[in-house]
Amino acid sequence: MNRYEIRIVGYGGQGIITLSKMIAYASGICEELLVTQTEAYGAQARGGRSWAEVVVDLDRESKQIDYPKALKPYDLLVILSDAATKEVKKEVIKKEENTGLLIWDSSTILGKFRAASKMKNLGLPIQKMALEKFGNIVYGNAILFGIFTVVTKIFSEESAIETLKQFVPGSTLEKNMEAFKFGKQKAEEFLTQLKEGMS
Amino acid sequence: MSNGNGKRFLKPGKYLMMGNVAMAEGALSSGLKFFGGYPITPSTEVIEHLAKRLPEVGGCCMQMEDELASINAVMGASLVGAKAMTATSGPGLSLMTETISMAANIEIPFVFCDVQRCGPGTGFVTVPHHNDVGLTRFAGNGEFEVIAFAPMSCQELFDLTITAFNYAETYRCPIFILSDAYLGHIHEVVNIPPKEEILKRVIDRTIPEDTKGAKFTYEDINTHKLMIPKPYIVGTEFCPPLIIHLPHNQDGVLMPEENSLRFMKIMIDKIRDNIDKISLTEEYKLDDAEIIIISYGLPVRASYRAVDLARKKGIKVGIFRLITVWPFPKEKVKKVVVGAKAIIVPEMNYTGVIAEQVERVTDLNIPIIKVPKVATLHHPDDILKAIEEVAK
Repeated sequence: MNRYEIRIVGYGGQGIITLSKMIAYASGICEELLVTQTEAYGAQARGGRSWAEVVVDLDRESKQIDYPKALKPYDLLVILSDAATKEVKKEVIKKEENTGLLIWDSSTILGKFRAASKMKNLGLPIQKMALEKFGNIVYGNAILFGIFTVVTKIFSEESAIETLKQFVPGSTLEKNMEAFKFGKQKAEEFLTQLKEGMS
Repeated sequence: MSNGNGKRFLKPGKYLMMGNVAMAEGALSSGLKFFGGYPITPSTEVIEHLAKRLPEVGGCCMQMEDELASINAVMGASLVGAKAMTATSGPGLSLMTETISMAANIEIPFVFCDVQRCGPGTGFVTVPHHNDVGLTRFAGNGEFEVIAFAPMSCQELFDLTITAFNYAETYRCPIFILSDAYLGHIHEVVNIPPKEEILKRVIDRTIPEDTKGAKFTYEDINTHKLMIPKPYIVGTEFCPPLIIHLPHNQDGVLMPEENSLRFMKIMIDKIRDNIDKISLTEEYKLDDAEIIIISYGLPVRASYRAVDLARKKGIKVGIFRLITVWPFPKEKVKKVVVGAKAIIVPEMNYTGVIAEQVERVTDLNIPIIKVPKVATLHHPDDILKAIEEVAK
């Protein structure tokens, strides 16, 4: 068993649950890994604090994921709203060299986010970029999915594209693909910087 | 209307499925033809999914005006030969108990999915709480046995629903699937086997054959052993057109009061005599275990992790899992707990319904530790803490 713990927090309507399902689909269906996705269930769908969690078992020999919820410390924590920043503390994210990352949206988190500076983190104005570059904040999801594909390396780019085709309406596929590539590019830049910073 | 059987089975392969949907697909694979229900959180996705899928297989999904009408519609459909089910949550279950008791009396096969939420009463509607475990055992007036399954993953929701329908056909008693608000909404990969494989597992509803005029007999005419006749299909040649919802004799018609004990024996012993066949359990690292965890449903998954962590610390602990909660496998449990240092029973309820059953069959000198959790899942650390406490 080699659990990869993912948690995404924000507010209802941002596409958190869709993003978590896309991660689960790419890992579970395309890559045939064991996966469990859980989500906030209730009035959150209509706004308010919302969350989703995905556990991927990177060990192909495993038969079942034991505990279905993501366990702290997380491999990847995505924070998309001001209110959600409260749950970020340095002990909730793994500190290993190859894992443990905080991704946050600097266009929705307006206050100071001091906790972020204490860990490996990637802050991008995701919603703002989605609106300015692609005309709608919904493309933020594809940007995040692109970032996710590059930083986690759980699934291949082919798997990610197959997933996008499954999840987004056909008429928006092209724009979503552009947003996905944009996200990938941003993540690659981040990883290069990280490498340079370390060396 | 076409019979639409081609769409009964999903194309074999892997699907990312929500628990409630996996359960509904399991029912369709079993040959479900009628769903009667009234939507209630957190079971709503079941009726939503079946409203779309049942017409595709030539079946009928009927949203009734309330829970009472729903369960009565299910009974009616089953009596005329359709595999039928309902899904609800705690408040719906309490409304339906009157008819469940009647169905037990007439021995109508049906499957009941209870996606449990926090009670009592309306409670908290969106959070899990295994607080209907006791109610399912005693769901209605009178004495009768029930069978209840406690799945813990989406794959099991699919597979055990097929088993549940088979049990309904075979044992003709109320069959419950104990899901919960959490399990019902988890998404996991479900492996759908080819239709040939599913069909090998499914027991179909067939018209009972006339065996020398003793079609519904409870006694084998040669050996005089107790047996369970096939379910009625009202409207077929040998089936009584009038089903009496009173204690019945072997032909399904009213019997004299003085034979009530014999009727009770039929109703109860059909389950108790077959408990070894009915009861499904699973063991994990029990061979050398000194501390035994007995659990069911989602807490088992947290227990797996807790056991692995405890074993790394040198604590000999294992799990005895109840896949079927009712009938309670008391003989199996008695055997498993012999010589145990302690028993830990993590349950997603406060009172410990199954812990009390374990107490009933265990030596008084073996401590039984309840690990209650309400409205949320057990964290593996909750169970690990209990293990470490007793290992001291």
